[in-house]
Amino acid sequence: MTAVVTLEGVTFRYPGAAREALCGVSLGVAAGEIVALAGDAGAGTSTLLLVATGFAPRLVGGTLTGTRRLAGRCGIVFSRPWTQLTGLCSTVGDEVAFGPASLGLAREPVLASAGRAMERLGITHLATRDPAHLSGGELQRVVVASVLAMEPDLLALDDPAAELDPAGADALYALLPALAVGGMAILVATPDLERAASVATRAVVLAGGRVVADGPTHLLEGTGVAAIARAAGCPPPYPPDVPSLLRRVGR
Amino acid sequence: MTLRDLVLIRLGVAVNLVIGQVVAALLLPIYLDSVGTILVACLVGPRAAIAAGLVSQILSAVISGNFSWLPFAVVQIVIALYAWAAARLGLFRRLATAVPAGLGLGLVAASCSAPISYFVFGGVTAGGVTMVTTVLRALGAPLGVAVASASYATDLLDKAIACALVSAVLRSLPQTLAARFPALTR
Amino acid sequence: MIGYLAGRSPLHRAHPYTTLALAGGVLLIAFALTRPLEMWLLVAVAAVLAASGGREVLQSSARTALLLSLPIWALLFVLYGVLGTEPRIALGIMSLSAPGMARALVLGGRITAIVLGFLTALGTTSPHRLVEAMTASGVPFGRTFLLASTLTVLPRMRERARQILEAQQCRGLRIGGSPVARLRALGPLALPLILGALAEVDEQVLALDARGAGGAARRTALEAPPDSWPQRLLRGALLVAVVAAYGWKFWRMRG
Repeated sequence: MTAVVTLEGVTFRYPGAAREALCGVSLGVAAGEIVALAGDAGAGTSTLLLVATGFAPRLVGGTLTGTRRLAGRCGIVFSRPWTQLTGLCSTVGDEVAFGPASLGLAREPVLASAGRAMERLGITHLATRDPAHLSGGELQRVVVASVLAMEPDLLALDDPAAELDPAGADALYALLPALAVGGMAILVATPDLERAASVATRAVVLAGGRVVADGPTHLLEGTGVAAIARAAGCPPPYPPDVPSLLRRVGR
Repeated sequence: MTLRDLVLIRLGVAVNLVIGQVVAALLLPIYLDSVGTILVACLVGPRAAIAAGLVSQILSAVISGNFSWLPFAVVQIVIALYAWAAARLGLFRRLATAVPAGLGLGLVAASCSAPISYFVFGGVTAGGVTMVTTVLRALGAPLGVAVASASYATDLLDKAIACALVSAVLRSLPQTLAARFPALTR
Repeated sequence: MIGYLAGRSPLHRAHPYTTLALAGGVLLIAFALTRPLEMWLLVAVAAVLAASGGREVLQSSARTALLLSLPIWALLFVLYGVLGTEPRIALGIMSLSAPGMARALVLGGRITAIVLGFLTALGTTSPHRLVEAMTASGVPFGRTFLLASTLTVLPRMRERARQILEAQQCRGLRIGGSPVARLRALGPLALPLILGALAEVDEQVLALDARGAGGAARRTALEAPPDSWPQRLLRGALLVAVVAAYGWKFWRMRG
């Protein structure tokens, strides 16, 4: 599999920060992989997304040492939909088409890319709506479509379903395997380990800016609520869901 | 200009246009419609601050409908340059230097807006300031003196508070956030 | 906020640069004219422009222009008419300054003409069409971004200001009382608003950059409004009219 991004011994420090946000991180993501990044707050998962996609230090400043090889275009999706709108577009269709139009493509390919992206996210019916009047969930789907319209080789998602309802979150994560099959490399940093584990092909766990584990997705069971449940002796699944807890209480 | 500069200018313009809502809720006799311009001057630089001031003037006209105030855009340029100079001298580091800097800005801004108000608008522009002008005129002051006095009084208070507020913002910035703005003198 | 009113009038169908040029022409010529008759001719021209935007645009522009102008007219009347210089005209129990009233007519007419002209332009120019026109004519991304996207972020910022006000009041902040007390309340209301906006800057920059904003390539306009040579001719003629108006003004000042 072709590596879309390769990091070797990468250390990164934000401007004015007392310590490094990433320390000696080595990681490769190939086309078709879905890598879930897990870790506690301050572990460096969001920073790793920015470094892997080349946005750090270029746009956020800071110092980076080590080797980074990036092949192809990158897209990034954050958790708050509102901050990701351009503000220039009065319809969803225009918002999604903004990216390909900015690349200077001709009108027809731009509209075709935008149309495909909206279809993938199931938002074609919203094409003429004003983004300012959409719900948070609908808006996040518009944002993802806007990024997909540029057909990135590497898609980074930073807790993308934080403001979505459970159905919306399920739909968003369910989309990722189809994108990976199409050849996209996907990096998703999220505390939603259950959903991440259901779609990821690989898991990377960070702590204090270092990679502490890199392997199969069952590694995610060793972090966060899953780790607490396992240590407490709860039976699987990890992390525990409400039905399984109720069954345990009811026994 | 970088994308970062543009986003910060947009933030400055938005602050200029929205802070009036906060001021109105407090029933204070000021506008604070230059806070964003002064902030951008400190965080980015003079060109960005001028852009923030000019765009604020245009959008303020678009929102209120009163496009006759566009000639006051010149005052925005002066405010931007003064604020940048004050930032370079480190006057926003402490409240004790920010307030006098604001009074100086008020003097300079009024010295620019009063002639525009007098020569271009005959002294009649915004309600509040012109009311003061009218009262002074009724008391026998020459029109030029009435216009100038009204402009100075409102501008001194307005700009002193604006600079104090910007100083408070800059001093409240977390270290990591402040480090993102190379133009910021700490 | 004054806004676009959909329609099919000639102004609606015109290129956005034409409608803005007409409004800009009225603005510039208004500052060149110094006599009441000339000024009110210009007001009539601005009114005809508003009428050509359709009934809804005319009603909306006229109503807003009136609302904005009336306080200024009242102040002009007092400042120049009542408190003006000799010679005075007797009107019943009071007298008004003749040169003062002439000046008031010029100043008031100026504001009325300018406001009417721009309200008409705003009412007949869809923001989307203007952005597309600017993109198609190669206006740098930064200018389009600042003018168009700021208006979009304003409602959210206003909403956040309102939420901060409510939240701080729940925490015991009093917004009434003496002027000093009210001034002290400014910090807890304004600081979170500004700091919160600053904290979002990074994410906004990243999102825009990821979408290719401000990149080297020239952005494709998807629905560029059509321009025509008569409109270009009209815009050129407006420029000539503005130059002529100022030439006339300075020639009269000399003579």
